[in-house]
Amino acid sequence: MLRKSLVVNPRDSVAMVLENANKGDVIQTIRGEITLLENIEFAHKVAIVDVEKQQSVYKYGEEIGFAKTAIPKGSWIHGHNLGCDRGTKKDIGGKP
Amino acid sequence: MAMKFMGYRRPNGTVGIRNFVAIIPSVFCANSTVENIANQVEGAVALRHPVGCTQVGLDFEITARTLIAMGNHPNVAAVVVVGLGCERFKPEELYEGIKASGKPVVKFVIQEEGGTTNTIAKGVAAAKEFAKLASEMKRVECDLSELMVATKCGGTDATSGLAANPAVGEACDLLIAQGGSAILSELNELLSTEDMLARRAINEEVAKKVYSAIYEIEGVLRNKIDERFPGRNELISPGNFVGGVSTIVEKALGGVHKSGTSPIVDVLDYSVAPKEGQKGLFLMKYESQDGEVVTGMIGCGAQLVAFTTGRGNPTGFPFAPVIKVTGNQFTYESMKENFDFYAGGIISDGVSVKETGKQLLEMIIRVANGELTTAEKIHGNELFVIARR
Repeated sequence: MLRKSLVVNPRDSVAMVLENANKGDVIQTIRGEITLLENIEFAHKVAIVDVEKQQSVYKYGEEIGFAKTAIPKGSWIHGHNLGCDRGTKKDIGGKP
Repeated sequence: MAMKFMGYRRPNGTVGIRNFVAIIPSVFCANSTVENIANQVEGAVALRHPVGCTQVGLDFEITARTLIAMGNHPNVAAVVVVGLGCERFKPEELYEGIKASGKPVVKFVIQEEGGTTNTIAKGVAAAKEFAKLASEMKRVECDLSELMVATKCGGTDATSGLAANPAVGEACDLLIAQGGSAILSELNELLSTEDMLARRAINEEVAKKVYSAIYEIEGVLRNKIDERFPGRNELISPGNFVGGVSTIVEKALGGVHKSGTSPIVDVLDYSVAPKEGQKGLFLMKYESQDGEVVTGMIGCGAQLVAFTTGRGNPTGFPFAPVIKVTGNQFTYESMKENFDFYAGGIISDGVSVKETGKQLLEMIIRVANGELTTAEKIHGNELFVIARR
């Protein structure tokens, strides 16, 4: 089934799903048609490109974190596979 | 479009959009007395708080300047100060700080009045007189340059960054284009946006302040992380997470939209007003705890709050309207009574951010003119929380 989605910025590696969607549903994106590999809820993110482990993930045209595992396109992207060091790691971010 | 609003001009020249009599305790020991007084007077609000004694240094200073700023706030017509008598934040200092603004103020000290009963009786009599005085004050036509909006996210989800925050940002841009002002804060939720915010600073000095403010908060956050308490160190809330926000940086990149695109004029300290004559977009140094950050921005002089929420939020401020904005159609349908403005058309119906922002500014002006917000209708007052350091 075709589901509504949005890619905020052309640089992004994710789309936001704009309705609750199921595994096997399809979204149309600037990267072509993507088949969802799992159920994804309203406003959550789906990979629209294959992302390698440690590679940056982009939304709003900016880096929102890094892949903790390899993320094939069509996968749900959330805390289980997306990491972020800002605010926690000592060597990230500037010093006052 | 030259827009105006109707406000109350105060003796010191500032303009209010509400006209309350504030009953302010100089110390938490006077809280019940203050609530007793406010409960007996139509148009009075109690500013209950947990501080005023046993504080030192910056912690004490923040309490002092915030309470004085509340008394001096233009949404307040007159003030009854109630002290206990032995507290570190002397009732005289609060009284004198408010008196300097030229507005009517009186002070009662429980230990001097011989207990709560006498204090309540005197406080009620004074507050009733002030309420009568306030009812005789008239709104006058004011320029939008007199208006300052505080921006806040509370209960963010992934729709906030797409719809509600961009709508607030557009409304702020329109207000600032008319000479008005807005405040962005919640610096822990701006991590990773420091480069784009610094680029918007009006000069090098302000750009440096932007970087140092955000990095300072990042340092505070980093030092608070404590591995002894696994599961207590997440930088975003469970609601943010369920709502589709995965990382603090994703939250920040959505949150920063509520500041629009205007230049950053200055970086403000907590509860400290901009320098005389400064207008436009300000960044206030504080974290994102809802009550504390809203109180600080109102202490800087904001008369109302544009509060975005994807998860839904019922909170209000004792004397300032809080406009609740959501971009989440499901939350809006299920919690309609707690929302003032729906921005979800941006997501579901392709309504432009420009049009939505324009409608939001029109609502801000209606609220400034006296239209009650949903939080005011339920007498929400949870957002008055003085920061601790």
